[in-house]
Amino acid sequence: MRNRSLLMLTAIAAAGTLTLSACGSRAASGASGSSSASSATTVTIGVDAPLTGPLSALGLGIRNSVDLAIKTANKTNEVPGITFKIEATDDKASPQQGQQNATTLVADSNVVGVVGPLNSGVAVSMQKIFDEANLVEVSPANTNPSLTQGPSWGTGTKVRQFKSYFRTATTDAIQGPFAAQFVYTTLAKKKVFLVDNKLTYGVGLVATFKDEFTKLGGTVAGQDHVTSGASDYSSTVTAIKASGADVVYFGGEYPDGAPLAKQLKAAGYNGPVVGGDGMKDDTFIKLAGTASEGDYATSVGAPVESLDSAKTYIANYKAGGYTDPYAAYGGYSYDSAWSIIEAVKAVAAANNGKLPANPRQAIETAMAQVSFSGVTGQVSFDQYGDATNKQLTVYGVKSGQWATIKTGTFSG
Amino acid sequence: MHELPQNLANGLFLGAMYGLIAVGYTMVYGIIQLINFAHGEIFMTGAFGALAVYSKLGANVSIWLALPLMIVGGVATATLVAVLAERFAYRPLRNAPRLAPLITAIGLSIFLQQLVWGFPGNKSARVFPQLPGGPFHLGSVVFQSADIFVVVAAVLSTLFLAYFVRSTRTGRAMQATAQDPDTAKLMGIDTDKVIVIAFAIGAVFAAIAGISSGLRYGQIEYNMGFLNGLFAFTAAVLGGIGNIYGAMLGGLVLGLAQTLSAAYIQYIPGMSQFGSQDWSGVWAFVILILVLMFRPQGLLGERVADRA
Amino acid sequence: MTDTKTLTTEQPDQAALKPAVRMPAAVAHGLAIGGGALTAASAFLAWTYSSSFPGDLTISGYPGGLQWLTLTAGLLTALMGVIAAVPGLRVLAPGNPGNATLLFAVGGVAVTWFTLIAIAVQLHGLVNLTSGGWVAGVASLIALVGTLGLPRAPGSTVCAPTRAEWLQTLYAGAGLLAVGYLLHLTGNGAAGLVMAGAGVVPIARLCIVLKHYTGPTPTLRAAKRLPVAVDVVLMILMLALALEIFAYGVDTPYGQLFVGFLAVLCFSLWALSQSGLLRRATEIFERNRAWAAVLGFLTAAAFVFVQQSDADAALGVNVLIFAATALGLNVVVGLAGLLDLGYVAFLGVGAYAAALVSGAVTSSVHATFPFWAAALTGAAVSGIFGVLLGAPTLRVRGDYLAIVTLGFGEIFRIVVSNLDGVSGPNVTGGPNGIVNIPDLSILGFNLGNPHTILGATIGRFANYFWLMLIIMAIIMLVFSRAADSRIGRAWVAIREDETAATAMGINGFRFKLLAFALGAALAGLAGTVMAHVNFSVVPDPFVFAGPVPPNSAFLLAAVVIGGMGTVSGPIVGATLFYLLQQKLTFLQSNELLIFGVALILFMRLRPEGIIASRRRQLEFHEAEDAPAAQLSTAGA
Repeated sequence: MRNRSLLMLTAIAAAGTLTLSACGSRAASGASGSSSASSATTVTIGVDAPLTGPLSALGLGIRNSVDLAIKTANKTNEVPGITFKIEATDDKASPQQGQQNATTLVADSNVVGVVGPLNSGVAVSMQKIFDEANLVEVSPANTNPSLTQGPSWGTGTKVRQFKSYFRTATTDAIQGPFAAQFVYTTLAKKKVFLVDNKLTYGVGLVATFKDEFTKLGGTVAGQDHVTSGASDYSSTVTAIKASGADVVYFGGEYPDGAPLAKQLKAAGYNGPVVGGDGMKDDTFIKLAGTASEGDYATSVGAPVESLDSAKTYIANYKAGGYTDPYAAYGGYSYDSAWSIIEAVKAVAAANNGKLPANPRQAIETAMAQVSFSGVTGQVSFDQYGDATNKQLTVYGVKSGQWATIKTGTFSG
Repeated sequence: MHELPQNLANGLFLGAMYGLIAVGYTMVYGIIQLINFAHGEIFMTGAFGALAVYSKLGANVSIWLALPLMIVGGVATATLVAVLAERFAYRPLRNAPRLAPLITAIGLSIFLQQLVWGFPGNKSARVFPQLPGGPFHLGSVVFQSADIFVVVAAVLSTLFLAYFVRSTRTGRAMQATAQDPDTAKLMGIDTDKVIVIAFAIGAVFAAIAGISSGLRYGQIEYNMGFLNGLFAFTAAVLGGIGNIYGAMLGGLVLGLAQTLSAAYIQYIPGMSQFGSQDWSGVWAFVILILVLMFRPQGLLGERVADRA
Repeated sequence: MTDTKTLTTEQPDQAALKPAVRMPAAVAHGLAIGGGALTAASAFLAWTYSSSFPGDLTISGYPGGLQWLTLTAGLLTALMGVIAAVPGLRVLAPGNPGNATLLFAVGGVAVTWFTLIAIAVQLHGLVNLTSGGWVAGVASLIALVGTLGLPRAPGSTVCAPTRAEWLQTLYAGAGLLAVGYLLHLTGNGAAGLVMAGAGVVPIARLCIVLKHYTGPTPTLRAAKRLPVAVDVVLMILMLALALEIFAYGVDTPYGQLFVGFLAVLCFSLWALSQSGLLRRATEIFERNRAWAAVLGFLTAAAFVFVQQSDADAALGVNVLIFAATALGLNVVVGLAGLLDLGYVAFLGVGAYAAALVSGAVTSSVHATFPFWAAALTGAAVSGIFGVLLGAPTLRVRGDYLAIVTLGFGEIFRIVVSNLDGVSGPNVTGGPNGIVNIPDLSILGFNLGNPHTILGATIGRFANYFWLMLIIMAIIMLVFSRAADSRIGRAWVAIREDETAATAMGINGFRFKLLAFALGAALAGLAGTVMAHVNFSVVPDPFVFAGPVPPNSAFLLAAVVIGGMGTVSGPIVGATLFYLLQQKLTFLQSNELLIFGVALILFMRLRPEGIIASRRRQLEFHEAEDAPAAQLSTAGA
């Protein structure tokens, strides 16, 4: 690999004396030698998530879950003759770093698929890079509908953006309206106060909730936007109390949701706080304490206790000795990694049990047919790359635990 | 508008906390003209120090017994960190140009955040114990025991500081050092010691603010120092940096400005979209810029002679 | 450095100190050359049994990974040893070839023993080292002993640390060990790192000893002027070598190699400066400035040819964006002395402006500007924001400005995430930002597509690398023209003493505003490219301090660490900074921690920056000489 560089250099420098660095290519020859020599092929599944910084709790859960999926696949010899390896990169929640990681993963020819990223803002800078290399990317956490269906999905013109982009996470377009129907019909609350933390996830969720809620006939008593991490939400609390709303819908993650719920109840507000899967985390209950009692959160898939795969996953995760919890997106991440493994399996099966020299294109095609029973339910992808699993479950806090309230499928 | 008293009270509680942190900025700045950027992290370590004491005590200890110990633990941690920072990071740079200690402070701030983050369980927010009792009602105003804690702490601290700076030998030495370090040195004042004491007092107040923050919001996080530190520093500048009462006043003004702007800006015609809590930080800075334009020395600051 | 030289030459030629190891000169030379050669040869042996150490050091007869670095250091030691031994070759190293040999040998010891220790630690135990590894370790030590027997340079001073210094080192090391142990008990992830820090303390002490031992950089007599053609050829060779070294550093696939690379590089640069070669090289570049600029630019452009994949070019683009922004900040901080803590906002303004007129579907402005217009728009809008922010605030002095700019940086992020049509007018798309920004197309050349030039495939990021390089050249030109003009001198005057400057008839406010606007415009220009490279502009990256450059804190650090007020300083600072945070990923979650410590240490050891402007260096000496004077001005 250095030979070419040397060639170019001498051409530019017009000097043939630069023999100092005439080192051959050992790494490249070694790699190709080992892959052809050994019978077991090792392929890499990349991970891109924030492993440091404020979102690291979520990011580490993603990485560990992918690691668990890979270890499980290797242990059960899921794809005969193929061993999986993890290559975790840290995007630090930065689009720039995410893009850089994407180019690195693309350049490593052993990488057959990537799980990640966490943030929709990071995803947009990576999608095209992966797409040009036909490298499959499965996000466990991106909820922005436009990532798959294009910027004008709201008006009904859905156009697939990138054929290599898939996600196991549900989109705001499903979760928000589902929560709105639950609040309006099941809880019979007609006056809502909307709060978001001005991050992609929360803003999208609140927008879709609002549309559906007003369509159903509910009224929006007020809306506020809080600074993520500010923790003093007293002005919001005062506004909610003054508005006379009987329910609060919060778009955002639990680190902001918990203090809001807590300050609301402390100030004497009695209505429930309803949120999305970013709030459905045990830490929410831990942080908000008794104030979380009676709050609700929606989450994708069938109830955890009704799925054997989910129970196995949780048990295995505990047994895996990971120091960080699997967090909100652990299950989706496991399924994301597993969908790539399934696709690799399909490609290998179609090619006499071996992967072709450059399997990326084939894996990308195979992803569309992937279907298995995962941690979050049946996993497969529709024509946009979205999860076909439209089942959602409402959980409520009952005596310090998330308990299943209602499960159902969102239909239009 | 019937929620005005509640908003005023909220602003007051928030402002008292800002004021407690701002004292540290203003004291250090007043004496060595250093923006101690890592002060927000001192605030954070204070909160975590208190939490460490609490978790050692176990959950079945009464909070009233635990609280004094937590305060001691938090204050000790924060003071230790501040004094060590002064000794090993700032003191060697005492005579370096302004930017060198500032970069050091940024480095220190990142270092402290990461160090706290590295402890097990600190990667996301930690639960902070709560004071029992409440909510209390005073007219239409609702408040918590933690809010009383903040206000009492702020009042006591200000009174103590006023006494300390005016009436004790060390306090007067501090004033002298702030006015003219060379002459102070000639008069036999150990300026190094005075500077350490300024850092330590700032840390004590910051730790109390950190505990208040934990008690009020029920959770603490390794990066809680940044936003709070930023606003506290703004408060210090607003009140007139270098002036201790100015820091308290600046804190209160800033707290009120944030709460009131979040509540009422939206009623100004044409501004209906700019009234959310998220915008309140913007308005706080707009007020800062306005104050600096018309009263560049801050609310209580004296007009200082131009520095070279 | 130039100032210390004059000092030493004025002193009478004192009796040179005795070398550390007493031996006949011939033996010393022999050991140095032989040890160096043996070190180089040992790189061809297998060092370990297991191929699980990165780089696969198990193969005899062919060096791999870190062994290449040992080979390089060994060869350089032997080569310089020969030059030191043969008086006739003195012309090749006009300075102190003996010192240079020593420093090369130290580099060899550093990288070899670092490798051996890394193998032992990573594979758990010394048993993993083969005899080849031990040969390498011993050979590098032989070379070191030999070079320590070489005669010492006249300018060198007593190098043994005083008792107090030893104690200091001991306390620092023991303290770190204790803290590390405490952290270990509490389960903190940084425990191992702190303990490793305890190991770094004595190494730092040894480096200081070495500095005293070798003495200051030697002064040279003026060299004979070579014909321009020879100079140009020499420059081409040197730049090509520098490029190859740089590309090697960027390419290093794993952190250990990068650390080894840095060790060899640092000691080699030190050795070259001791040998006088660095000085000679600088002379060549200084007397052919125009050539140097053109060749330097071409060399940088050639980077895309020596890189391994587009991933390196992506790295290069990001480094350039960071460096260009840092250079813009240097106008504000370095030249005019205005502390700006929210500078990244101007980068953001430029990026958003370019994104809005890029023709992206998600943009609220449905206009598609050609790139030149978009770039000008970005720079202009950013400059306007600079004026808008500066006009009310530049009348206040010093630290108040710092907080206002810090506030502006935070406000910027809050505002752009609120201008989404829900909590503000729809301009920026709120937290979703402006996405799917199309690739640039300049004169029909689509930067998004790979192109084949001279047989090499130039990928998307390589295209942007070239574009960014041109912009960088423009920014450098603007910076240096401004700095050398009447305006630049006015800025410096204001920075040094605003009152005096005003008295001399400089309109302080107007010049400060100009600096602010120019700095902002340069950042905006860099931002326009960033928007296209990243396909998107979202509010999250524009923070005061975050883990990824560019953010305000990192920009400021790059400027200060690189060297304020110079052209090359911020570029070197930014490059080093970006590469470090990129390459130190093997520290995993601890890299930010290390970054924080590095900032503190750097300010303590070299507050004037890597490349210090002469004026600033003098300033620091002045401060050391008269601390009291400094205090009195500060305390007024």
